[in-house]
Amino acid sequence: MRLLALAIGAAGLLLWPWAAPRYFVFLASLIVVNAIVAIGLNLLSGYTNQLSFGHAGFLAVGAYTAAIVATRSPGVPVVVALLAAALVTAAVGLLLGVPCLRLEGLYLAMATLAFGFVVVEAILNLDGLTRGNDGLRVPAARLGPWVLATDTARYYLVLAVGAVMVWAAGNLARTRTGRALLALRESEVAAQASGIHVARYKTLAFAISALYTGVAGGLFAFVVGFLSPDAFDVFLSVDFVAMIILGGLGSVPGSVAGAAVLTVLNDSLAGFQNYRPLIFGAILIASMLFMPGGIASAVRRLRTRWAGHPPMAPGSRRGLE
Amino acid sequence: MTIAALVHVVVSGLATGSIYALVALSLVIVYNATRTLNFAQGEMLMVSTFAGFTVYAHVKLPLVVVMLIAVAAAALLGWVIERVIIRHAIGATHFDVLIITLGLSLVLRSAAGLAWTHDEFPFPSFFGTRPIVLGPVRVAPVSLGIIGASLALMLGLWALFTRTRLGRAMRAVAQNQRAARLVGISVERVYAASWILASVVGAIAGVLIAPVVFLSSQMGLVAINGFIAAVLGGFGSMPGAVVGGMLLGVIENLAPLYLPSSIKHSVPFLALIAILLIRPGGMLGRVARRKV
Repeated sequence: MRLLALAIGAAGLLLWPWAAPRYFVFLASLIVVNAIVAIGLNLLSGYTNQLSFGHAGFLAVGAYTAAIVATRSPGVPVVVALLAAALVTAAVGLLLGVPCLRLEGLYLAMATLAFGFVVVEAILNLDGLTRGNDGLRVPAARLGPWVLATDTARYYLVLAVGAVMVWAAGNLARTRTGRALLALRESEVAAQASGIHVARYKTLAFAISALYTGVAGGLFAFVVGFLSPDAFDVFLSVDFVAMIILGGLGSVPGSVAGAAVLTVLNDSLAGFQNYRPLIFGAILIASMLFMPGGIASAVRRLRTRWAGHPPMAPGSRRGLE
Repeated sequence: MTIAALVHVVVSGLATGSIYALVALSLVIVYNATRTLNFAQGEMLMVSTFAGFTVYAHVKLPLVVVMLIAVAAAALLGWVIERVIIRHAIGATHFDVLIITLGLSLVLRSAAGLAWTHDEFPFPSFFGTRPIVLGPVRVAPVSLGIIGASLALMLGLWALFTRTRLGRAMRAVAQNQRAARLVGISVERVYAASWILASVVGAIAGVLIAPVVFLSSQMGLVAINGFIAAVLGGFGSMPGAVVGGMLLGVIENLAPLYLPSSIKHSVPFLALIAILLIRPGGMLGRVARRKV
């Protein structure tokens, strides 16, 4: 049953470029990019219960790294550019994560918010590297003999990378690191008592989250083809937070759903111009009022109702699915 | 740079800082009562100021009346938002309420744009433009006016929170909601009062700052700096919000004088990160120790 659903879903995603107009192929790529960020953010927030308002900054670091690598060494395989984006962003995440170990809750949110602003300022000022306000044109991605110059080609690239990232996030909970992080989420003290190095794993969560966002940033650069600092403002970070809360904290499918819903919503409301934030905001309010806990917990409630089980006690927690 | 010029810069920094402090206070008031971070605070401030401005544009009333109208509009707005939206989310998690206030901020900003367009409007000022000369030092009257009005309002808030029944009830709810309920405090009424009070404080900040920055639908973005100020001081602490706001204002005004222009915009944020690294709970905040 589950396998069948997965197979149908995969087939649908693979055939999408033949069924949909070109623009919707681009939109689908954007959804996958946002979904990767949402998963990365959710690994941090879902595991350590801490929000980051700086993930647009990580996205920018990844995007610019990939773009600069691709510009400076023409013909470099896209995989190398993405790896560079992932590693550089993870390193930045590590650098930010170590001092942030002392911070909790709102204070961490604020420090990450500040980080996002500083990244944008840095991009503006390092204009020798980033071309500052003029924006940076990203060369087409290359994979061996192929040049990924069409929306469809880029879609398959994004989809393949996205699949790997989703698979890795889903399996993280089964690794030693994942279990350590889950233990940390339930109780830091208890985790410490059972021999988990709290500081090390919290920093690691930060780095993994940044790595995800860096990969997404690299993909973003190739999908959009043009980077400018104002694309990575604080509102984008807030959008990412909205994605994971709307989707459901601590849930990988929830992250993907939240990213898809918000990306499509943002895009389909573009025609309404001035009314767009009005409608968007109203939808955010309504969905949190009538669907507390986001899409993931709404689905969970529906499932238990269909199965005839009594609903789960409020406040009970589950691992990352 | 002369001392006199330095004084001038510090005074205008304190004026900006007073506004940040007022916004920070309104964030803290709501946070202490309902544990909600109100993302819409800046937009509530902007809408209330616009309400006062609309009346002024039609009938040239004295500015004090305009401010009272803005305050009344703010009180109404705060009450409606609390009653219609926030109270229905009473069982929701903090994260859910965060997204609700985020949605609210989008709705308010967009509605303000539809009602008043996204243009900038000059807002009348209480204060003259001729600089006040004190020996070698020249300061803008608007700076002194903003500082004075803000200090008066802070004093009023202090009296409210220490001397009145309502203020004590609000502090009790902030400390322990269940215990407050047990001693007969209506927590719901405190919720409503907090939203109204925060909205009013914000509106006064809005009317004070509007002549300096122009009135526009984007004015609510001042809340980001108010938020930083509140965190700098230690979120939840009211004296902290004031100190944090003043500090942020002064840093922001002094930084361009001493630092290369390439990093001056980053200064408030770098200062924030630096202060948080030294004191992870803000300057006057305490890091909560949780029992196991």
